[in-house]
Amino acid sequence: MISDEQLVEESLAGSALAFSDLVERYQERLLRYLLTRSGNRADAEDAVQDTFISAYRYLYSYNPRWRFSTWIYRIAIRNAARQPQGEIRDVDVIADENAPDPLEECIVACERENVWLTAKRLLNQDAYAAMWLRYVEDMSIKEIARALDKTQSWTKVTLLRGRRSLSAELAEGASGAAGRQIYGRI
Amino acid sequence: MDEFEHRLKLDAQAIRAGISPELRSRIDASLRATEQIRPVPESPAPGMNLWWASSLTGLAAAVIVIVLINWNGPSTVPAPLEQVADRTVPVAVDELQGLYPPWLIKTADFASPLEEELARLQADIERARENVKKDIDFTF
Repeated sequence: MISDEQLVEESLAGSALAFSDLVERYQERLLRYLLTRSGNRADAEDAVQDTFISAYRYLYSYNPRWRFSTWIYRIAIRNAARQPQGEIRDVDVIADENAPDPLEECIVACERENVWLTAKRLLNQDAYAAMWLRYVEDMSIKEIARALDKTQSWTKVTLLRGRRSLSAELAEGASGAAGRQIYGRI
Repeated sequence: MDEFEHRLKLDAQAIRAGISPELRSRIDASLRATEQIRPVPESPAPGMNLWWASSLTGLAAAVIVIVLINWNGPSTVPAPLEQVADRTVPVAVDELQGLYPPWLIKTADFASPLEEELARLQADIERARENVKKDIDFTF
């Protein structure tokens, strides 16, 4: 299987197909993350599109020292941050205050609450992003720090705090000591 | 991977993030309409030329200054040592003597003002001591 970095090289050499492969690899992953950050699905899809356009346009600036996933997530996080949060853009799409969270709508129905919904409620945006990159994308501390434009110390502390507060919340939801055993010591 | 991490991963997978054909075609269309920015190859033209020009100008100026400093006109035969000494020693030494202060001053001339000042200070101290003594007597 061709690596992401090789596809970048081919794309820089002029292969449109190579970049299309990269889009294929990352579109779902990015959409999944951006759905949890954006106000609605349309915004998330716009952010995905913008991310790929920016990545394609500035592909020459990609440094192969870092994984491609780190770079594209960095762009996606910036795009998500640039999006107006909760801004009403059209009279027709005024959201009902009682409407469910768009993330909730995208989650497959199950008996318990999705952890990421809890995380969205508990953590700030940077901490949420750090947790996502660590536990969903399996990025290293160094890569997360790079993607979020933070220091490695900040990343370590944020991950630790995020995990603690999330564990505490989940343990409370689960039954007492059994919950604490499952979600770790707080 | 512990239970917590496992659950985070599973719950992320549970988020429906299917890419619709419309979104994919939209992305493809926007990519086709986008041009990659190519870094402009660096030309050594303006910067390097300026560097060379300024360096050469500076070098030329330095050479000119060195030549001017070291150029003493036509070479001359060195004068005898006596003549050089005569030229360097001032002729009117006696006249200049009057301009300097007299050096033969007695030590007492320098010391007497200091001695007077010392006596005054000692008198002041004595007076102050008397005052303090009086104050103490009044108090007790």
